[in-house]
Amino acid sequence: MFCASSFLVRSGPADLNLQAQLVWGTNNEKPDDPKLKEVDPGVAEKLRKVFKWKNYFEVKRQNFTVAAGSPKKVKMSDDCEIEVQSLGSSSIEVKLYGKGKLAVRKTQKISPSELLVLAGDDKDDTAWFVVLSQPAK
Amino acid sequence: MIDHETELKLQAYLDGELSAGEAKAIAGMLGRDVCAQGLYQELRIAQSLLPGNELERMLPESREFYWSKIQRQIDRVESTQADGLPEEAASRWWPRFLAPAGVLAALAVFVAVVLRSPEGGGTFLALDDSHEIETPLEETSSFSFRSEAAAMTVVWVDSHRE
Repeated sequence: MFCASSFLVRSGPADLNLQAQLVWGTNNEKPDDPKLKEVDPGVAEKLRKVFKWKNYFEVKRQNFTVAAGSPKKVKMSDDCEIEVQSLGSSSIEVKLYGKGKLAVRKTQKISPSELLVLAGDDKDDTAWFVVLSQPAK
Repeated sequence: MIDHETELKLQAYLDGELSAGEAKAIAGMLGRDVCAQGLYQELRIAQSLLPGNELERMLPESREFYWSKIQRQIDRVESTQADGLPEEAASRWWPRFLAPAGVLAALAVFVAVVLRSPEGGGTFLALDDSHEIETPLEETSSFSFRSEAAAMTVVWVDSHRE
């Protein structure tokens, strides 16, 4: 598995509170792994609307704050790390690192009801997901 | 026994695609050829059954994701072809680019104009081109799209895993 996801919320004038989830998608039943949790129904439903996989399991969840002008790195797994920077005007820059290498960089406007998902396929017809949105207050 | 060309003519006759002269010839043949009559009846039955019983094919994933994968595959093939052409061939290559470019342009128009939600008038599908995306690794590629239905922007990272 490559990576996970994150969410954004304002906590101060320029800070963003984020929630990051590492999600694994599969058409098989839940593996016997206590680390895997069911993804929030709302997020899972949105993922099912877009992707073909039936089941989505949360591997890791991270809550963190991004201060203005100060990029924040968040480790999601041994191989996956994201870096989020607030650019102001509700824009963020998200960098996804796989095995230490920058895999993709994305600049995106954010809003409370939106998800930003970084994703890719994995072995055995499964997929990994990184989702960005506002966590519940 | 009727040949394949006649079979096609019979099908075109059934679909009303023949010229007046050709249609007259086929109608005459149907009046005297039993084999042609049999095939024509079979085609008529098939034509009457298909509209109400055609198998509905459901996409296993969202429309946005499905089309974005096709777009990505087109881009990849064209990129590979362009990279592999020698200089001389490349100079003759541009006219042939017009055809796929036309297809892509038509696809873009289709996406921008046709696939709009009928009630709200908002865009149903949107390739996400309004924000910057970069994939520095050679062995990876990425594309971005937005799903209005899921209120979600997706960056799909392809590591070219076989």
